[in-house]
Amino acid sequence: MAYSPVLSPKPNPPATKPLPANPKTKALAILNASNSPATTAASTPGDGGLDLAEQMNDEVRRQFITGNRLGEGTYAIVYSGHYLSDPKSLVAIKKIKVNADYKDGIAMDAIREIKYLSELSHPNIIRLHAVFSTKDQNISLVLEHLPLGDLEQLWKTHTVSYGIADIKAWASMLAQAVWFCHENFILHRDIKGNNLLIAADGTVKLADFGLARSFADPGRPMTYNVITRFYRPPELLYGARYYGGGVDVWSMGVVIAELAIREFFLPSETDVGQLSAIYEVFGHPTEESWPGISKLEFYIPPDASSTATTNGVKVGKKGQPLGYWKARFPLLGEDGIDLVRGMLTLDPRKRLSARQVLEHRYWTNAPRPTKKEDLPKQGGGEKKMGEDLKRRGGEVDSGRADKVARKLDFSALKK
Amino acid sequence: MKLTEDDLYRSSTQFKHWSFTPEQLASQRLKTNITASERVKAAVKRQRAQRLRQQDTASTSESERNGSGIENGGNTPIPMDKEVNCLTVAEEQKLVNTFCERAIDLGTFFKFPTEVIATGVQYLRRFYLYNSPMTYEPQTISRSAMFIANKTEGHHLTLEKYAAGLTKTSTEQVLAPEYLIVQALRFHFDVRHPFRGLKGGHLEMVEMAKGNAAILPTLGKSAKELQAEMQKLPRKAGGPPTNTTIKDLEKRVTEAYGHASHILKTAAILTDSYFLYTPSQTWLSAHLLADEPLTHFYISSKFPPPATSNPTYTKLLSKLRECAALLSSHRSFTSSSTSKEEKEAREKKEQAEVQQLIKKLRHCRDPDKMDLVKLNKAQKRDAAEGGQLEESKAKRRKLEREGYQKEADEFWGPELPKMENGAKAN
Repeated sequence: MAYSPVLSPKPNPPATKPLPANPKTKALAILNASNSPATTAASTPGDGGLDLAEQMNDEVRRQFITGNRLGEGTYAIVYSGHYLSDPKSLVAIKKIKVNADYKDGIAMDAIREIKYLSELSHPNIIRLHAVFSTKDQNISLVLEHLPLGDLEQLWKTHTVSYGIADIKAWASMLAQAVWFCHENFILHRDIKGNNLLIAADGTVKLADFGLARSFADPGRPMTYNVITRFYRPPELLYGARYYGGGVDVWSMGVVIAELAIREFFLPSETDVGQLSAIYEVFGHPTEESWPGISKLEFYIPPDASSTATTNGVKVGKKGQPLGYWKARFPLLGEDGIDLVRGMLTLDPRKRLSARQVLEHRYWTNAPRPTKKEDLPKQGGGEKKMGEDLKRRGGEVDSGRADKVARKLDFSALKK
Repeated sequence: MKLTEDDLYRSSTQFKHWSFTPEQLASQRLKTNITASERVKAAVKRQRAQRLRQQDTASTSESERNGSGIENGGNTPIPMDKEVNCLTVAEEQKLVNTFCERAIDLGTFFKFPTEVIATGVQYLRRFYLYNSPMTYEPQTISRSAMFIANKTEGHHLTLEKYAAGLTKTSTEQVLAPEYLIVQALRFHFDVRHPFRGLKGGHLEMVEMAKGNAAILPTLGKSAKELQAEMQKLPRKAGGPPTNTTIKDLEKRVTEAYGHASHILKTAAILTDSYFLYTPSQTWLSAHLLADEPLTHFYISSKFPPPATSNPTYTKLLSKLRECAALLSSHRSFTSSSTSKEEKEAREKKEQAEVQQLIKKLRHCRDPDKMDLVKLNKAQKRDAAEGGQLEESKAKRRKLEREGYQKEADEFWGPELPKMENGAKAN
């Protein structure tokens, strides 16, 4: 059933065994000798005449059984599945759809996701068990089965209550995942609550590497149009083309803040609105507080933009004092507030690196992070995993993905 | 919590799936060659049988077929029962190497970044570890491999623009082998290159030359002492000590970098070095070829003195020499001792051999895999209804497929000489 039909040669006609031509070289001699049945793999009907590569692909494919469809998006269909050899060993099978609009072959999201997940092996990063292609030339990713929802769903579910130590445990798993990506010179570029899935044992796992890339060589420009808007750092909103791990650290700071306040921390409707939301909390950056900022393409200094702002947001304002943080983030504690503010420093050069995040006193000071097995759980279920895995990366300004982000936005406002 | 570079490299797909011993490489290549040869012979035999049957039933079309040439390419008719003369492993290797060189030219023409070209070439080499040029024609594959490399390295290039820049190539032709290639790559897109390592080592050597290097405490020397030693380094291994000015020293470091970088962009990607050595071994070997005393000096600075009595140092050096021998064995490698005439003669000989091989390849190509665009279309059409094939459907498909292949045999066979004529006319 797994053979690709067209590639199979027809069975041999019942011809007489060919007379061996004069063997020219050693290899040819071996080749002729291989007319013995033992090595005529290529022409025996058993392998369907598949190429070695096709045979290897089929071996991989046959290891898995595809089960129910869990979710379908514009980019992928997600199925539950398991290893053939062990029905208890569950997986999620993400079948990348062929996009009719994309004329350039295999989709970039799929390429990025496969490329980076294949290289990363870490307890807090979703595991890519295997990749195989199916006859209809769709690529399927066999991913780790993560049935307990995601971090965003967790803070949204008000029946689940959690405290300081629980947040510390989740944040720590997130921080280790980001650190590991950066040690491998990989930028995730789409960190957000619903890309942080939860395994059956409570482990948080970073997923969706559809927008990932490796660190660029110095001087090579990158796109600023990445990271779902609520989690996008100011330098990208200003159009920076040269950036580093700091972009992920900002997103991580926003995710931890959301866990603590149980609502979106920096929601907005537009990119400009996003900057306003950031100014509201952190103040309007200037050349003084962020040297070099005026060179960024979309940067507007406070006074020049005062007429251009909407929603009555005053610009040029100062950042919120510590008192604001203490009042709004009791679930972080003083150390946690210091850490999150370090992650959410406007100037990316002053922002903490992923390594510095792990070195922060927050992790070692009391209270200790909750043990994984004691963490509050919510039943996200397979359905939620399907929803989370089928999504395309949050390229907010381009078409469909934009709608995904907006939808999130509205639901937040209504609640 | 600290990860070493070794830890990182050991978790890479390049290390886990694409690193071999020379014996493993040779045995895989032999296996691929045998499989492909068997297949070519079977397919050709089948085609001949088919034609014989056609001759019996419709002898009128015979003149037509002969008129457009014979499937074996030459003008002299070849006896129908003669065994196809397949490529040997060595010949396949030579062809693949040639097309890797051409892929570099292609990438250079398009001004692709170094890592895109290098990745594309490695994709080709990896592809032909499991496939033979007899089955899949290297020019077609290399064009697609290069396109895939642009995507995986995140270098933006539209298919349309790329195909337009190629001679007589449609977008369809570029995309047709895409699945074949990614499958043969086993979906491992990441290739670890030695370029950044070389750059890093170079920057460190520049700092050493300036007397500002950060030095390992175990070395027990100051940056200035290291700089002074560096100024005395002989030009050649075993030569007398020199007294180089700091300016000349920096120049020397930069020249070594230039030479090593050239080796990495040519010999390193055109040999089996990626299969056999790690990126750091490769760049250090290239640097060793470029400036031996400097490279020795650099490596010794990483060991507590005396480095030469350290078993790790000795082991490392012998590994580097082994890799350097491989790199310098490539035709593109030139040292100061290679004369221009020698080089030209080498080049001419190579060209003649390659032409001979390309001619031979025409006679032993797998007739089932000639037109990848058609194959690809058929495969997609076959699966158009999507989902898994049930057994009953599979049976129906099998019948369809047989019908299709019959058609293919009739149409593709006679077309073949036309293609060749076309190719010759180019």
